[in-house]
Amino acid sequence: MRDAVGGTLATLFLVFAPLSLMSFGGSNSVIADIAQQSVSVQHWTSQREFADLFALSRAAPGPGSMLAALIGWKLAGLAGALVATVSFYAPAALLLFVVAKLWGRWRGSPWHQAVERGMAPVAAGLFLSGGIAVLRASPAGPAVWIAAGAATAALLYWPRMHPVPLLAAGGVLFGLLDLLGAGP
Amino acid sequence: MGEPTDSAADIPTVAGVGLSALFLAFLQLGCSSFGGSSAGWIYRDIVQRRRWLDDQEFLTEMALGQSLPGANGVKLSVLVGRRLRGGIGAFAAPFAFLLGPFVIILVVGAVYGRLGDHKTLHAVLDGVAAAVVGLTFSTGIRSVAKGAADAVSIGIAMGVVLCVGILRWPMLPVMLGLAPVSIGIAWARGRA
Repeated sequence: MRDAVGGTLATLFLVFAPLSLMSFGGSNSVIADIAQQSVSVQHWTSQREFADLFALSRAAPGPGSMLAALIGWKLAGLAGALVATVSFYAPAALLLFVVAKLWGRWRGSPWHQAVERGMAPVAAGLFLSGGIAVLRASPAGPAVWIAAGAATAALLYWPRMHPVPLLAAGGVLFGLLDLLGAGP
Repeated sequence: MGEPTDSAADIPTVAGVGLSALFLAFLQLGCSSFGGSSAGWIYRDIVQRRRWLDDQEFLTEMALGQSLPGANGVKLSVLVGRRLRGGIGAFAAPFAFLLGPFVIILVVGAVYGRLGDHKTLHAVLDGVAAAVVGLTFSTGIRSVAKGAADAVSIGIAMGVVLCVGILRWPMLPVMLGLAPVSIGIAWARGRA
């Protein structure tokens, strides 16, 4: 039993630590990889369960990537949640800390500015791709694509809109549609 | 790694920001930043409300964060913590930032585990996820439009979306292919 838990913790680390260092553009950009690992490779969750855990991790406050903690919790309780969370955040944070120390010395140099400017659109593209990955992984089909499109339009039109009422509206709308028998 | 002097050289410690104040600010930020756009929440709190950093300082830190991997809120916590309190701040701020959400998510997860397989619950969560993706898309679109509205940057962002988002190519090779091109173009333009 103890070995089984140890093995699970080791696997959590081996899956989440590399993803930490790959999450250019934010943790959003590795959502597709987390989904793939969790559903198809490691068989930690079903597709349905993954979609639920994703939505829960976003509806709760925080950086939005507590998805790792939820997966770890499901597999190995508190220890699993801790290992998954630390593995997912610490490697990137350490890298950033080291680079920040060095970066300060070169601040304002042309190549330094080129790296920052050049990485910005790449990061934005990866960030957007994370959203597409979530829609693709959702078992709910075209309804989530339409609703996501509507939410995007609303937020672009009213940039100061608070996200929480919007998340609540999405949940209530889909819940009602399901109760009325019209849901996907 | 680097000279022993560099730990303090480029970090003008803002007077009056104690470690406990920093910890409490990020603890609060972690619990209140909803919807995954933590950068916006941190900016409003640290720059606009508390005035611990000015706009320029914050944007410089953010630009560095964008060039590296990691969750955006955590990266900003590390950078803001470091700028205000050095190495200990760089550890304390992200720790405080993640502490509240970590506890909350375990409670949420336990409740979900109790509810189990419930059809309407799944539907509600799908609706929440759709709104979250709307938030992602609008933030991404706005950051491209605001940061670099030129054709090359938009083209590169679209190229990444095409390869990774639509064609589902693995992200690492795509990034290793496109990032040098993008940085090269930025370099050439900086010199022109």
